[in-house]
Amino acid sequence: MTADTVDLDTLRRVACLAGFAWTDTELDDLRPLVEETQHLLRALDTVPLGDAEPVTQYRAV
Amino acid sequence: MVDLHWASMSELARMIATKTVSPVEVVRAHLDRIASLDGQLRAYITVCEDAALQAARAAEAAVVSGQPLGPLHGVPYALKDLYDTAGVRTTGGSRILAERVPARDATVAQRLGAAGAILLGKLNMAEFAYGPEGLNPHYGHARNPWDGGVHRLAGGSSSGAGAAVAAGLAAGALGSDTGGSIRIPASLCGITGLKPTYGRVSRAGVLPLAWSLDHVGPMTRTAVDCALMLGAMAGYDAADASSSVLPVPDYVAALTGEIKGLRVGLLGGVFLDGAAPGVRAAVRAAAATLASAGAAVDEVRLERTDLVAAAATAIVGAEALAYHGEWLRTRAAEYDPAIARRLRVGAFIGGAQYVRAQRVRALVREDVDAALARRDVLLAPGTPIAAPALDERQPMLGDGPADVRAALIRFTRPFNLSGHPACAVPCGFTAAGLPIGMQLVGRPFDEVTVLRAADAFQRLTDFHARRPVLA
Repeated sequence: MTADTVDLDTLRRVACLAGFAWTDTELDDLRPLVEETQHLLRALDTVPLGDAEPVTQYRAV
Repeated sequence: MVDLHWASMSELARMIATKTVSPVEVVRAHLDRIASLDGQLRAYITVCEDAALQAARAAEAAVVSGQPLGPLHGVPYALKDLYDTAGVRTTGGSRILAERVPARDATVAQRLGAAGAILLGKLNMAEFAYGPEGLNPHYGHARNPWDGGVHRLAGGSSSGAGAAVAAGLAAGALGSDTGGSIRIPASLCGITGLKPTYGRVSRAGVLPLAWSLDHVGPMTRTAVDCALMLGAMAGYDAADASSSVLPVPDYVAALTGEIKGLRVGLLGGVFLDGAAPGVRAAVRAAAATLASAGAAVDEVRLERTDLVAAAATAIVGAEALAYHGEWLRTRAAEYDPAIARRLRVGAFIGGAQYVRAQRVRALVREDVDAALARRDVLLAPGTPIAAPALDERQPMLGDGPADVRAALIRFTRPFNLSGHPACAVPCGFTAAGLPIGMQLVGRPFDEVTVLRAADAFQRLTDFHARRPVLA
């Protein structure tokens, strides 16, 4: 398994931990999209975030 | 007299207040238009004919008896079907909520009602607002009124709002915008759509897609009407913890048409290179138009747009899963399979990835703030392409082919992450006669300047005044 591939067993375990009882067929159908998403999200790992905190809104002053 | 279904909200309000027309005539004209055209456009999920006529008769009585009138007295509008409406079903474009009838109105519906507006009905949309194409297999795909025989996307997720306002089936509407869902249909349908600053308008009583990115805003045919609707619904709401306590200015009064000295930053880089040539040319021409009226235009780049897709994907995926988790366990078969598949992917986004995405968001915001530090507004295309055909999956952009969903949200999503106000405005037409939209982006809570620039542009051009030909 490379950094951007996810095997069925991993999908099964993560789905189970999240409380979903999806079939192997359903998980296999999801696999390309999960791999594509994880590949995309790797871009976040390389960003120097410094002391940036999670921010969702402008605070009124 | 103008066709009532093409009159703007501000014109209708004025004609009603001066007893030139009755609210009953106005509402009837729109209901007739819906009856004759909505079979092909599929803009509405629910039409509130009896309630609208009853409200119109009450509005007429108030005019006749000389009661004080609100700024939208007797003016008909419609709501994307994710705003709670007391006694009227609110489906979210889904089968799961097909029979859901809320007990109370969303805050914005209450406020528009208090301003005198009359609800015509609830508008079609992508299921649970999860899709910029605006497709809906449960209620039928809303159709772009400009399609000229080719079935084209109205754009989403507020597809019914785009189609209804562009075709004269409503004078104005409310959409919602998580990644561009107001500005995309506004651009593809040739209307004006405002995503206000995050916190400017209450989200209470609005079905969420992703709480931290969802914005509520008006979709109309003019910037003046966006200002009118925004003024009626903006402001603090104790029911929405993210709503701002900042005072609400008089948006309409600020529309002077004067933009001499306005500093406009034309967004370069991917915002121009990534747009189809016709879109790029229209936006450059719009910049020249603003400059001809005295605006100072320069070109500027955003440096962190490369992070937007990843951050938005993590945030929307995780938040949407949090909302839909229980239904995905118990009622998955009732979703459009494509939507269910996208929602399920959220289960594989980790908590640390989500938080990292929210931290990246701070950088995106700083980037936009920096571009606006010495400018009043930023100018960019609304979408990189005009309305694609319903079955077009890989449209050609300025820098190559792209998946249609990724293409449509490419230029709008940065400002959902950053929270800045952004207004889509018609700025041209393709050779095939399809509308092209641009967006004007302003500083946080400075909707006044955004709307003033949009209105000034509409005083200088007629793109917003052109109408689709419908059988």
